[in-house]
Amino acid sequence: MRIRGASSTATDGPSVSPAPDFEGAALACLDSLYRTARRLSRDRADAEDLVQDTYLKAFRAADRFEPGTNLRAWLFTILHNTARNRFRDRARDMVAADSELVDNAADAPPPGSSLQAADTPETRLLRETLAPELQAAVDALPQAFREAVWLRDVEEFSYAEIAEMLDVPLGTVMSRISRGRRLLFDRLNPVRPAAARVVAGKL
Amino acid sequence: MSDCTSIDPLVTPYVDGELSGADRARVDEHLRRCAPCYSRIAAEGAVRDLVRDRRSALSMERASASLRMACNGLTGRAQVPAGHSLAPAATRVEGRTWIPSWRSVAPVALAASLVVLVGGAFVYQATLHSSRVLAAELTADHLKCFTASSILGTHDAPAAVESSMLSAFGWQLQLPPAFDASGYELVGARRCLYGEGKIAHLMYRDEGRPVSIFMLPSSVREEELVEVLGHEAAIWSSGDRTFVLVTRGSRAEVEKMATFVKAALQ
Repeated sequence: MRIRGASSTATDGPSVSPAPDFEGAALACLDSLYRTARRLSRDRADAEDLVQDTYLKAFRAADRFEPGTNLRAWLFTILHNTARNRFRDRARDMVAADSELVDNAADAPPPGSSLQAADTPETRLLRETLAPELQAAVDALPQAFREAVWLRDVEEFSYAEIAEMLDVPLGTVMSRISRGRRLLFDRLNPVRPAAARVVAGKL
Repeated sequence: MSDCTSIDPLVTPYVDGELSGADRARVDEHLRRCAPCYSRIAAEGAVRDLVRDRRSALSMERASASLRMACNGLTGRAQVPAGHSLAPAATRVEGRTWIPSWRSVAPVALAASLVVLVGGAFVYQATLHSSRVLAAELTADHLKCFTASSILGTHDAPAAVESSMLSAFGWQLQLPPAFDASGYELVGARRCLYGEGKIAHLMYRDEGRPVSIFMLPSSVREEELVEVLGHEAAIWSSGDRTFVLVTRGSRAEVEKMATFVKAALQ
């Protein structure tokens, strides 16, 4: 189990009770941790389990939290470490698979997505996208891109904080955000690539 | 185009408005000359603005009341005094039982955390019931204990838990340190207040998956693996005690786990 800065040095009995304000501040992050856990696991019970485990570890390791640093980012790091540990042995290791995809795809702009100018009818139409449609598109992204875009644009973490959470280099974080945004654009943009239009025309 | 490749690492911070000075000028200069990059950045910027614009709508989902309760229950570390109001010993045994690191020995990766030890759990004459009924009652107890918020509310030292087990059940066992190399985390001890009888209940988490081990004193049963309520309950006896391991998982996995625990408890 890897909790950065909270690894395994303590060998004594029960840890000192964390200050109530630490616990209060940590619990104030419950909803956003839960929403993020839901992006990590489509199963609601799994997501709830993840969050509960995150708090369990956080309170246990409270004395190893450095005051003055970002508590919310620390909790998110524990959440992601917990999720990685839990899903590591499962057959579908989405993150690993996606990482390769990112590495292969990062250099090449995706086909069909890059033909619009800055303020065209397409980008204007994009602005009309409703939240449920956007949520569905985000949730349909491959895991690695979904995490990166969500942590950046919804939870508003810094690249460095996200790199720590996902345990990947800074450059990878940026390329995942970039690629994730482009994939979202493709999914949401009403102007589809030619092939998609042909298929749509047959329906 | 090599120029496009060279600005690639700058695209995300550019879109996020986090580039300054020379870097920003370099990207601006490139975009004036490169229509594909210009389009790409426009698309990424449009999505970024859209997501941020819809942030509050994307953040409507809330944690359930039960999750909130459960997490609140993790705070507050009031200690349950060792052996406090636990029933007098039902049996006595000699020798210590050590529960070693499952992670290093068991074929299944079991051991992320030892969550709770419970003395004095229920038995309404559980020993008289059929295995299926016993398994169902214990599985329900397993679910309740792991779902109930307050279950995780205390943090006891292994020594306190060992002492509770000894005074309540005459069960002398040796737990790993609160933090050991295998990743065990001993969080606490707590009583479940069911019925009149006495069952020891050990609760673990294996990478978040709840695992319960129940110990019924003065009871002997046939060895059995019962599927109940979406769980597997492995039942076996050793000496004059019956043990029941309850968890979710494949039959083979649970059997392996039970085999390992069985060996550890001998």
